[in-house]
This record gives sequence, structure tokens and C-alpha cells, in this order.
Amino acid sequence: MLTSVLLPFIAALFIPLISKWKEKVHTGIFVTLIPLAVFIYFIQFIGAGFEPVTREYSWIPSMNMNILFHLDGLSLLFLLLISGIGTLVAFYSIYYLHTSEQLGQFYVFFLLFMGSMLGVVLSDNVYVLYTFWEFTSLSSFLLIGFWNHRERSRYGALKSMLITVFGGLSLLGGLIFMQVITGTASIQGMIEQQELILNHEYFPMILTFLLLGAFTKSAQFPFHIWLPDAMEAPTPVSAYLHSATMVKAGLFLIARFSPMLTGSEWFFLFVSGFGIITLCWGSYMAVRQTDLKAILAFSTISQLGMIMAMLGFGTDMAIFAAVFHILNHATFKGSLFMVAGIVDHETGTRDIRNLGGLMTFLPITATLAVIASFSMAGVPLPFLNGFYSKELFFDASIHFNEGAQGAVAIMQSILPYLAVIGSIFTFVYSMYFFFGTFRGESNMDKLPKKPHEAPIGMLVAPAVLVLGVIVIGLFPELINQPFISHAADSIKAGDIDKSISFWHGIKLPLIMSLAVLAFGTILALSRPKWQGVYRILPGKLSLNSFYDGTVKRTETYSTAITNGYMNGSLARYVRLIIGAIIIVTFSIMAITGSFTISNEDLSALTAPEIFIALTMVIAAVGTIITNNRIAAILILGVVGYGLAILFVLYRAPDLALTQLIIETVTVALFLLAFYHMPQLEKKTETKRKKSLNLTIAIGFGALMSMIGISAHSSKAFDSISDYFLKTSHSLGGGDNVVNVILVDMRGLDTVLEITVLGIAAFAIYGLVRLRRHKDEEG
Amino acid sequence: MSNLAILPILIPFIAGILLAFLNKHIPLVRSLAKIITVAQLLFVSWLCYLVYQSGSIILETGAWKAPYGIIIVADSLAMTLVLTTNIVAVACVFFAPVSLTEKQERFYFYPFFFLLITGVSGAFLTGDLFNLFVFFEVLLMASYGLIVLGNGKVQLRESLKYVLINVFSSMLFVTTIAFLYAIVGTVNMAQIAQRVQEVDQAGILTVIGILFFFVFATKAAIFPLYYWLPNPYIVPNPVVSALFGALLTKVGIYAILRTFTLIFVHDPNLTHTLFIYLAALTMIFGVIGALSTHNIKLIVAYNIIPAVGFMLMGIGLFTETSISGTLYYLVHDMIIKGSLFLIVGAIAYVAGTSDLRKMGGLIHHYPVLGWMLFIASLVLAGIPPFSGFIGKLLLLQGGVAQEELLIVITGLITSLLILFSMIRIFVKGFWGEKSDVLPTKPVKTAPFTWPIAFLLTFSVLLGLGAEWVYPSVQSMAEYLMNPDLYIESILKE
Amino acid sequence: MEIIMSVLAGILFATGIYNILQKQMLRIIIGTALVSHGAHLFILTMAGLKRGAPPILTEGIEDYADPLPQALILTSIVISFGVTSLLLVLAYRASRITGTDNMEELRGNEHE
Repeated sequence: MLTSVLLPFIAALFIPLISKWKEKVHTGIFVTLIPLAVFIYFIQFIGAGFEPVTREYSWIPSMNMNILFHLDGLSLLFLLLISGIGTLVAFYSIYYLHTSEQLGQFYVFFLLFMGSMLGVVLSDNVYVLYTFWEFTSLSSFLLIGFWNHRERSRYGALKSMLITVFGGLSLLGGLIFMQVITGTASIQGMIEQQELILNHEYFPMILTFLLLGAFTKSAQFPFHIWLPDAMEAPTPVSAYLHSATMVKAGLFLIARFSPMLTGSEWFFLFVSGFGIITLCWGSYMAVRQTDLKAILAFSTISQLGMIMAMLGFGTDMAIFAAVFHILNHATFKGSLFMVAGIVDHETGTRDIRNLGGLMTFLPITATLAVIASFSMAGVPLPFLNGFYSKELFFDASIHFNEGAQGAVAIMQSILPYLAVIGSIFTFVYSMYFFFGTFRGESNMDKLPKKPHEAPIGMLVAPAVLVLGVIVIGLFPELINQPFISHAADSIKAGDIDKSISFWHGIKLPLIMSLAVLAFGTILALSRPKWQGVYRILPGKLSLNSFYDGTVKRTETYSTAITNGYMNGSLARYVRLIIGAIIIVTFSIMAITGSFTISNEDLSALTAPEIFIALTMVIAAVGTIITNNRIAAILILGVVGYGLAILFVLYRAPDLALTQLIIETVTVALFLLAFYHMPQLEKKTETKRKKSLNLTIAIGFGALMSMIGISAHSSKAFDSISDYFLKTSHSLGGGDNVVNVILVDMRGLDTVLEITVLGIAAFAIYGLVRLRRHKDEEG
Repeated sequence: MSNLAILPILIPFIAGILLAFLNKHIPLVRSLAKIITVAQLLFVSWLCYLVYQSGSIILETGAWKAPYGIIIVADSLAMTLVLTTNIVAVACVFFAPVSLTEKQERFYFYPFFFLLITGVSGAFLTGDLFNLFVFFEVLLMASYGLIVLGNGKVQLRESLKYVLINVFSSMLFVTTIAFLYAIVGTVNMAQIAQRVQEVDQAGILTVIGILFFFVFATKAAIFPLYYWLPNPYIVPNPVVSALFGALLTKVGIYAILRTFTLIFVHDPNLTHTLFIYLAALTMIFGVIGALSTHNIKLIVAYNIIPAVGFMLMGIGLFTETSISGTLYYLVHDMIIKGSLFLIVGAIAYVAGTSDLRKMGGLIHHYPVLGWMLFIASLVLAGIPPFSGFIGKLLLLQGGVAQEELLIVITGLITSLLILFSMIRIFVKGFWGEKSDVLPTKPVKTAPFTWPIAFLLTFSVLLGLGAEWVYPSVQSMAEYLMNPDLYIESILKE
Repeated sequence: MEIIMSVLAGILFATGIYNILQKQMLRIIIGTALVSHGAHLFILTMAGLKRGAPPILTEGIEDYADPLPQALILTSIVISFGVTSLLLVLAYRASRITGTDNMEELRGNEHE
């Protein structure tokens, strides 16, 4: 099982090599074999007696991150979709992509995606799931940006990435919460301990995190906006990722966690609510599009909304219908995308306003399109699978568990109406798609290319899918017992009669279907007359402009904020840094009440010290006041020499000596360096800034003094120096203890101190010499 | 045997001095530098292995027993960081000849480089607080030397600010050591920790702890002390930026990690909670900075800051999981920051500009560079299965367990924005039409590529192969959360 | 006396910071020098002042001043000297090349 997931990744490594011969053999031929192999492997699991399989492979056991695969009915459905449609799409792409394209890159991304998607639906470990989840987002990003010389392509890629990765991170948040609460990283394990999560005080937040992850991935309102822009990807990608598989990962996630979540009212309200809104909004928006792929994109959004809503209903019927529709949608939408690709390929345009009457030129394509689009519309014909699942959907929308109250009851009562409204628009755009492209008058002069039927190879893949539509429609039981019902069971083990039949008798769902048919036909025929409505809604309020605005504002506000304080002014930085230190440290001091001052253990006050201290204060202040640079430097010297005298008074002769020498050299250096520099200027700062500087300086000085006094007053231990005094002579071999410490006990410090001086010397030398070279050159 | 502990400091120290006197013979210096760094990497790996196997190696310099002399403590934490430092060093030394001018090499690049490594390794290894200050000065002085290398107008301007801020923080550092000495009467870290534990009335120690935090936070670039960082980090040569980005702020974080798990652990409700809030602010302001600019080098430089926020978050949460997260993130970040600075340096070199708005379509000319940038961006943003994810996951798990929701959500949003800030470079710089603004003759990128690939390999391995690393990190976190282990290993009675 | 010395060191810090907040390079560097004087004075004060004789072992004297802070100060003084020298040369070169000694004119902005 691990091999089947790793196979695409391993194959991806060899693609760059294989693609070198792309002029002779189209790389896609090799690639087709891989999903086919995976498909053949997994199809063996199908059967009435299927039992879930669990496999564990060691990865990072110490962090609870083992590759734990759980193959149940739900995974199997997705695995077969991913590998089956993957095979068809790869085959289709052989004809769609010319060998002059960068096939190597395309197929690497394609295989990366496929492998990750397989991983998503197999993983039982949440972190492994998340890993694969993010990789599907990333490969989608790369595939949308495949034709990255186009501005729209780059825009769409970035948009899809930002929205889906946002969702992914939110999902991660939710998963971590659940893992920490339950102590296990296995989804099945979490479901077993669902009470812990459901009753946890953070449950609403966990649910929000999970739903954000699922909604962004499955393009639910209001996060659907990335999907239409993702249509910039090559059409095989749109058919594969953006309708049949990746966008269903969100549905998968919800289905996976359904056993845990369906009991919750919040779950019902949010998932059904957003699902049904997405259904209506998506189908409404689809009708206004003019680009074939855009119609299909919004159609996908609305169909995903429908499935999402059914998962939210949570009844046995609804779950069954949802699973069934996941399969059906993949068949008819996949083939429609490929049809759109063929039209684009053969006529050079996808603009429905320029198309029309293509039936005569592309008869086979048109036949495929009519079956697929009628199935999508839910036209009641016995060989269209779309009808069956739509009917089940209606049925589910009127059969809820009884006894609901409050918001749940209200929601239950509006859902059937919204379901019908959404389906009417679905009907309209399905008709619009087919009739607008293949019937009506042809505008040959507006087409960039003269249309003719596509090569056989290109027709194979959509034909297989359409065949699926018909076979499932005619013999639904063929896939039901061995396959679909297992998938439904793994979400919710129900005991309803899961048989699918065309004729249920004249019941409410049928009436709903007929109403859709009737209103749909009227609206479809009169479509041009109410086109004007679309100019009003959504107009400028659209979510797209909200997204664009947010992205733009993120950048402009960031720039504004950052430039606001990062203005390169050293004084400003120092002010902010010291200001922060003062505020925080004073607060801590106040909170801990740690300012202490004690009169004990102090040395006596003597006149000379006070005199020197006063001199130093005056000199230090003098450096601020004077405007004469020489004076300032000399006054600084006074402070330094004052310090040296203090060292003498305080029994530190070595220090005094060093301080004297160094101070003298420093003053000389100062004079040397500033000899050629301008005089000190009168201070030109504003009063406000002056007092601010003064406050900061005094505040910081006071802070240091206070901490110093408190620290000295809180002496708790004797210094380790007694040891030095004791051993200096015996072990260190010297009587000047300071010197012994410097060269022996702390000899390392001294070596390094000399090193610092050495580096400084080299740096200074470099500064001076490099200039000389420049001057010579200049 | 215990003398081995000094070698990670001594080898680059001697190399630095030796190469300073050979500076006229550049080819010789280059190959010597390469040989020495590789040899040292091998040696340090072995030493690191030894420490993992049989525990800390403690060297009492000059045979003065602790706590009286300076001690070098090669414990698992220090050795791991020294090892990571040397990995980055190898990449930089191989990158240097392609990136530096001969003149820069002659004006002591290699000596400064080795002395920087000396300072950094020493800071990780020392067990003495004042000695830590001295090692800080060594690495800072070497960094001053490196930053002015090239001597341009911009370099001089920015290095002046850089030096001034660091001088201030160094002086605050010594003063704070003095305050602490007044109370506990020692500068040996183990003994300080021991004595701090015994003090009853610890309010003033908390204040001093916060002061230490500010000293280290200035170096680590934590809100609100990071203002000095971005510009000085982008003006020197890419190889210098890589060294700075990989090593310098991390020394600050290391110091916070050490002191606030070993010494100032008496009032975590106050200090460590403060860290959590500062971590959140650091992440937000850092990533806002990264989004604010079109200069690719600056984008990377700003991205240092949110990473520091993540590491501080782990220290603030102060649990074994979160400390493991910080440790993992620390190692990860040293490597990825090194490689990112090298990558953007290489991009700026081949594109002839670091302004994103003037680039486009580079992928057609430099696919390898582009894909390395792409992967590095994923690593940085913490996308699994790369190294950034493991650390981030541990930190978030720690945050959730402590119910610190604010920081968890901030961390998640920050990850998204980090990815956005980096992927912009990829989308705007590498995608698009083949651009005309490029210099006409394409540059050979192979010499650039290898050192970067070398570092990225570690990023990938640290993620995919986390099982090899994580148990050690976990035991390291356990060790850090039990300061007595450190104290006892040094002050054996 | 320790309290007075702490206050004096605080004042040195304050004047140093005030100078650092000025525009001209000379003042800023003078500021750093003042701050380091303050720091050194703090180290000495913190160990307690005038406790016994200078730490040079002499027959018959039992009490000595604490030698460790003195050793630390010595190290610190030398390091400060190195940094200050570099800073001076740097400032000199910077003002030569850029033609100004006003830090506020050396902001620069890499954002654009």
C-alpha cells in the first residue's frame, strides 16, 4: 500500500530524465502507466465482502507521526477516483499538451499531486494527512502557474495558494487541538474518544478550524473565489485537480470526521448552511459566465456545495447520496472539462459568445457533451446518473431527524426551497453550456481556427467517462453494493435500504425534479432577457475585490507601518529600545516590589570621594552643554581621570594605572579622529524632542541606579573571591591577586581580550588601507 | 579527554590568526580555509556524538576547579549548536570565493570569519557568565570587521549604527553581570543557578533577569529591540549576511534559552508569560516587515524576526514539548537562514538587482536557483515534511497544551504570511516572461549552487529524518527543564 | 558611599545616553565612553567599596578588597578601548565618505 502512494513520487524523480526524449516519445505515455498501475492495485479491493484494512509504517514514531494508512470504503472510493481519472487525464494530456511545452515540469507536478492526493485519502495519522494536504495545495499552485508567462496564471496560482494554505494552517490548528485533547494522532482513535472533543470547552473553535480547512479546499462560499482563477491551468489539470479530485479533499475531510461531528448542531448549521449557499451562489454565478471553463468552475463550486450540504444533513440518506454524487460528479464534470478542452483546442477560443453551432463540426464531442451536461442538469432520463443523485438529494433535503428545535428547525424548513432554487440554476447553466456551444448559429469568422473533430485519442478519455455516466445510470446496482455502500457505511453505518432505482412513484422528490425541469426550461429559454440582473449583483461588492483589496492592503499597510518606525534614524532606534527597557523593567520592579535600600554594609562617606564624584558629574553634564569639540573631548577625559582616582581610592591600583593609560590614549585618538571634522553645532532640536531625550536619559540612569542600590542591598552570598585570595600565592604563584586572576584563573578571558584588540587592529587597518587603494584608483 | 572540549574554540582561533598572516597568498588561504572547516566539521560531529553517548564534557581551564576558574561545558545543547554552526561555516567558506572580491578576501575575510566562529562556538560552550560576555565581544568585533569589509558608503553608514547599538547592549551586559554578582557573589553559571535557587526574596533577581533578557533580546532581535537588525544585515556581502543571519541572532536566543531555563526560573509566571506576549508581537511585526519591501535581501532579513518569535514562544511556554520545539527550530533556523541569505545573494548577483519589481522570468535562465528558493521558502514557512514543520509543530502542540490560544493563532497566521512574503520572490522574480533587464550573458551558477544545496539537504533531512534527531532533542529538553542536572554535572561535591 | 557611587554611575549612564541620542557622531561616541565608565564604576561598587587593602598579598594583612571585580573591569576596559578605537576610525571614515557627521542625515532606506 505504501508503494502505491510512493510510486508517483518515485516516478516523478525520473521524469526529468525521461522528458529529455520528449521529441521522440511523449512523456505522458509513461506517466499514464502510473495511475493505471495504482488503479489496478486498488480495484482488487472492490467487492461485497470488503473489510477496512489498516497498515502502519514507521516514520517518526517518537513524535506520534507514523504513516498509518486506513483503507475503508470512503478511501477506496477516492483512491479509485484519483487513480482512474488520473489515468484518463494523463492519457488526454498526451494529445492536449504539445511536445514543445515543458512536459517534464508538468508531469512532475502532476505526479506529485497524485501521490499527495492518494496520501490524503489513505492517511489515518492527522499529521501525515496534513503533510499530504499541503502538498496538494502546492502542486496545485505549481500547475496553475504552469503557463506562468501569463499574468492571470500567476495571479490565479498565488490566489489559490494563499487561500488553500490559509485553510491548511487552520486545519493544522484544529488537528493539533484534537491530538492534544485525545492524546492520539489517529483519526480513528480520535473518533473513539469523540466525547472528549465534543464536550471540550474549545470545541466550537476546533470545529471552526476544521471547517475552514475543508471549506477553503473545497471552494465553499465565501472561499470559492480561488477556483475560477485556477482555470488558468491547462485543461487536464482543471479536469483532474479542480473538479474531480483535489477540491473534493475538503469533502473527504468532513466525511472522515463526520462520525465524530454529526451529532453537533453547529456542525449541521454550518456545513449545511454554507453548502447550500454555495450551491445557490455557484449555480447563479455560473449562468453569467462567458468562458466555458468559468462556467464549469462555478458549476463545480455549486456541485461541491451540494455535496457539502448533504454531508451536513448527516442523515443516512444524505450521506449515501453525497457519496454517490461524488462519483457521479467526477464522471460528468471530468468529461465536460475535457470537452471544453477539445473545443478550445479545435477552435482556439473558449468564449461562448463566439461559439455556437459546433455540432456539425464536432459531432462526437457534441454527443459526449449532451449526455454529460444533461446528467449534470439532472434531467430525468434513466441513463443519466446525475438524475439519481439529484433525486436522492431532494429526498434527503425533506427527510431530517425529527424533533429539532430553534435554528436547526428553521434551517431544516428552508433547505428544500434552497435546494430547488440551486438546482434550477444548475439546469439553466447546463443547458446554456451545451446549447450555447454546440447549437445555434455558427460564427465561423469569429473563430481563430477552422474547427474540425478532435483526434480519436483526445476523445477516448471523455468517452470513457461518459460511458461511466450511462453505465451507472442504467445499472446503479452494479456499483452500489460492492462499492458505494461501503463508502457510505464508513461514514455512517446506517441500515436504510440503499437501493437506487429510477422510479419511486409520484412523491415529493419527483415533483421537485419536475419543478426544476419546468422553471429551468423557462429560464433557460428567456436567459438573454434577464441578463441585466447580473450587472447589479454582485458588482463591486464581489468577494474577488475583497480578496484583491486584502492582498494589496497587506502589502501597503505593511509598508506604511514598517516605514513608520524603521526610518533608519539611530536616535529613534535607541529611544525605542531604551524606552521599552525602562517601561518593562520599572513595571517588573513595581510588580515584584523589589526596590530595597539598606544602610547596612556601607562604607563611610569621605570628602575626597564626594568631591571627585561631584567633579565627574559636572564634567559629564559638561559634555552635553559644551559646543566646542576639543572641550567636549577634554571634559570626557576629566571623567575618565576621575574614575581613575576613584579606582585608587577604592583599592584598585592596577585598574587606576590601566585607566590612566587608556584614557590618555583614547583622548588622543578622539582628538586625532575629530581634528578634521566639523565643530559641534548648536542643538537645533525641538523642545519636545529635547525633553523626550532628557526623560529617557534620566529614566534609564535612575533605573540603573535603583537596580544597583537594590542589588547591593540584597547581598545574599559571599563572593567566591576568598578562594582567590587564599590560593593566589600557593597555587597561582603570585601575590598580586588581580594579576593572578587575569593570567591564571581567568586566563581565557585575557587571551580573548587580546584577540578582541587584535581583530580591532585588523579591522582598522582594513578600513584605512582599503580607502588608500580606492584613492589610488580614483 | 576533557581537553577536547576546547578544540571547537581553539581550532578556528588558531586558523584565524594563522590566516591573518598569510593574507597575501589568497589561493593558499582559500584552500586552507576549506580544509580546516571541513576537518573541523568532522571533528565536531565526532565530539558531538561522543557527548550524546557519554554525557557532557567539562573542561576546567587552567585546572582551576569550578566554580573558581572559567569552565567550558560541552553539553548536548552546546555541542549541537556548535555542530550546526560548523555546518553553516562549511557552506559559507565554499561560497566565499565566488562571492567576494579578491580584495575583500585579502583584507582579512578569512581571519574575521574564523574568529567569528570562535566567538560563536565559545558563547555556546562557556559555563561562565563573564566569559560569555567576552566571547560576545569576540564575535561582535569579528562581525564589525566583516560588515565594514568593502568599505562602501552604505556599509559604513549601517555598520556605524550596528556597532553603536551593540556597544550599548554590551555595556548593559557587563553592568547586569555586576548587579548579579552583588547578590550571588559569583560568575559561574552553575553556581549562580544554585545560589539563585536558594535565595528567598527573589524580586530583584527577577528584575536583573529581565535586564539580562533585554541584553540578549537586543542581540536576538526580539520586539521591541530589533530595529537595528534588517538594514545592517543586507549591506555586506551575501556570505557575510548568511553568517550573520544564521549565527548572530541565534547566539542571543541561545543565551536567553540557557539563562531562562537554568538561572531565572524562579518566577516563570511573570517572566515567561511576558515572553509569550513579546513572542507574538515579534512574529507579527517581523512578518509585517517582510511584507513591506520589494528588496529580496530585506525580505529575508526581516524573516529572521518572526523565526526568533517562534523560538521565544517555546521558551515562554516553558514545557518540555515547547522547549524541544525551540531547540528544533533553533537548529533548523540556523541552517535555513544561512541558505536563504546565500540564495538571495546569488539571485541578486545574477539578476543585477535586489529589487523584485525589476526582476522576472528568471526561472528560464536559472531553474536550479529558482527551485532551491522554492524549497527554501517552504522550509522557512514550516510546510511539512521539511525541518521547519517539526519545530513549529512542537511549539504549537506546547501552546495548545498550555491553552495559550493567542500565540497559537498568531503562529499559524504568521506561517501563512511568511510563506506569502517568500513566495512573492518566486512568483514575481522567477515566473513570468523572460526578462530583458537581465545582464545579457548568463552567469554560471554551479559554484553558487553547491553550498546552498549542501545546507538545504540538512533542512530536508531534519524534516524527513526527524526520527534520527528528535529523541536527542527531546532528551536535551528534558535536561534543560531540570537545571539541577547541569548544576550537578559541574559542581560535583 | 556605595549608594552615592551607584547614583554617580547612574548619572554617567544618563549623560551617556543623552549624548547617544544626539545627532553628531562625536557626541554619540562620547556618549558610549561615558556609558562604559558608568558600567565599570558599577562593577566596582557592586563588590563593596573600601573593604580592606588592595588585593596584593602582604604579610600580616587579612582583609583585602574583592579582586575578582577588578579583574573583570580590567578585561572590560581593554575591550571597550578596542571598540572605541574602531568606532572612532569608523566614524571618521564614514564622515569622510559621506561628507557629514550628522547621523540623522545617514538614515538611508533600503525599502525602496
